[in-house]
Amino acid sequence: MFQWKKLGKVFTPQEISGRAWLKEFAQAPATLIMDNVVRVYFSCRPPADTSGQYVSYSAYVDLERENPLKVRQVAEQPILGLGGLGEFDEFGTYPVSVARDGDLVRAYYAGWTRCESVPFNVAIGAAISYDGGRTFDKLGNGPVLSYSLDEPFVLSGPKIRRFNNLWHLFYIAGRKWKMVDGRAEPVYKIRMATSEDGIQWNKLNRDLIESRVETDEAQASPDVIHANGIYHMFFSYRYSSHYRGKQNGYRIGYASSRNLVDWIRDDAKAGIDVSEQGWDAEMISYPHVFELDGKTYMAYLGDQVGRHGFGLAVLEGRLE
Amino acid sequence: MKWLKHGKIFDPTEHRLPNGCVQFAQSPQTLVFDNFVRIYFSTRSVDAKGKFLSHIAYVDMQKNLRDVIGVADRTVLPLGDLGCFDEHGIFPMNVVRHEGTIYGYTCGWNRRVSVSVDTAIGLTISHDDGLTFQRVGSGPVLAASLHEPCLVGDGFVMIIGGVFHMWYIFGTGWKKYALDAAPDRTYKIGHATSPDGINWQKEEARQIVADRLGPEESQALPTVLRIGQRYHMFFCYRESFDFRKVQGRGYRIGHAWSDDLSSWTRDDEQSPPPGPPGAWDSDMQCYPHVFECDDKIYLLYNGNQFGRHGFGLAELQR
Repeated sequence: MFQWKKLGKVFTPQEISGRAWLKEFAQAPATLIMDNVVRVYFSCRPPADTSGQYVSYSAYVDLERENPLKVRQVAEQPILGLGGLGEFDEFGTYPVSVARDGDLVRAYYAGWTRCESVPFNVAIGAAISYDGGRTFDKLGNGPVLSYSLDEPFVLSGPKIRRFNNLWHLFYIAGRKWKMVDGRAEPVYKIRMATSEDGIQWNKLNRDLIESRVETDEAQASPDVIHANGIYHMFFSYRYSSHYRGKQNGYRIGYASSRNLVDWIRDDAKAGIDVSEQGWDAEMISYPHVFELDGKTYMAYLGDQVGRHGFGLAVLEGRLE
Repeated sequence: MKWLKHGKIFDPTEHRLPNGCVQFAQSPQTLVFDNFVRIYFSTRSVDAKGKFLSHIAYVDMQKNLRDVIGVADRTVLPLGDLGCFDEHGIFPMNVVRHEGTIYGYTCGWNRRVSVSVDTAIGLTISHDDGLTFQRVGSGPVLAASLHEPCLVGDGFVMIIGGVFHMWYIFGTGWKKYALDAAPDRTYKIGHATSPDGINWQKEEARQIVADRLGPEESQALPTVLRIGQRYHMFFCYRESFDFRKVQGRGYRIGHAWSDDLSSWTRDDEQSPPPGPPGAWDSDMQCYPHVFECDDKIYLLYNGNQFGRHGFGLAELQR
């Protein structure tokens, strides 16, 4: 079992002022290591509209590289605008994942639209930054990864990685909408696609991670890191119903692979769980593991799926 | 091309249709058998909210295309599951024979909040000569992509030299033309190919037929037939707003031809003309389907009110 030492909550969106688009939530942290800072992209929300509906934006916070518990600055603007009328990302760009591509930074993000019979649908878009990750230009008005025969809806949670000279996109795909107490709840599973150029993607078309807690277990945030000859995936999972509290809410799972295709799930090894008390006492989710100056960190969300920000943990030992 | 117009040949209100459908027989598409012609169309029921749901049905006709043998008496293809691309309607469905089965390419509709709808193209297969179709998967085979942001639909498939060709439409965007108006969409005709009819490669937002009405021309429902050495495409086109009731802005039938399946020359003069005032196709002509039957070439299409009262037939004079 990995030994994670929790360092506490690092970023609290409620403490930031002067940004109408950033009222609460700092979801799905994803890092870009820079010379002096660790840039952590996250997704946030302005206040809900009069009918209680949210839109999501993505932005970043720069943490001191020498002391990542210290915030240096927060983006002045979201990194991406919302899509136009009727486009896939009209109501949200969340979450986002970034990777360097030479001098450029690539971003893959989930775009949200609103539907009549179910609350939303999601597809994955792509954008490129020419200024080191400060602003991004969308590659098109449509998604780069969309619905297909056995991935009928809700393509979300992208994590972009480059392994073996090939782009790998880990993401989730909706399996079913389950009616729970009159409300449609999405069930999704972890999937993968590969690409030479980051635009034309070949889907693997199978679930990477077997379901554990129930058939309709929802899996999210498939965060993959290569270390010590093994691919490690930390992800989050929850029950399909009544998951907004401690009982059925998100926990962090773990799987490993030697070839990126065949994964062995071993949640007991994840080594991080809800706390006895505090900001992450009910749920823990959206892990992102990164290496920085000889240490391995995990950024993650606590209660209410990051409504009050994200925290950090540091690994004691090695990823092996 | 000279067309002999036979007038309206099918009125859905004269038949008992499955799924509680009472009006509309839109986008007729044929499957020709030895002794009869099965014509699929989309008809409509009304849901609990008072909104339309489009369902696929068919009518079997004698090869004279005048006498009705019968209509579908049960569901040909159920609508999609909750949250799926084809949950709120299937309109149209294009059928093509392949290796003893029939592939049905559907245009599935799902309702949105900020705009009325989005669509994508699905694949279904029939193993019973087209009486019923089963989905290959619950998602689409062709959907929105990087430069085709919405409204991928109206697929028409031909297998040529072992390659599947699909002509279809893609949305270029939604726009509000007046402050109090619902958003309207614009779409254009595109092309994709596939080795197996399942995995498709789009030309990605290449508009293959030139506009006649300018950038806000909407083009829909391409249908293609090889006549002699030349490929002929019929489609319908209209203005992008005020097209439902305003005279002269509604659907008309367009035409284009190609000798190489790549470059198309538009020549709307080859289409059958609209009917005289008061005729069933006086105000509007839409959703064409060109096909060959016993060495004759026919064009099925809808008339006024988008086919609420059925479809009609024209025959090529040769």
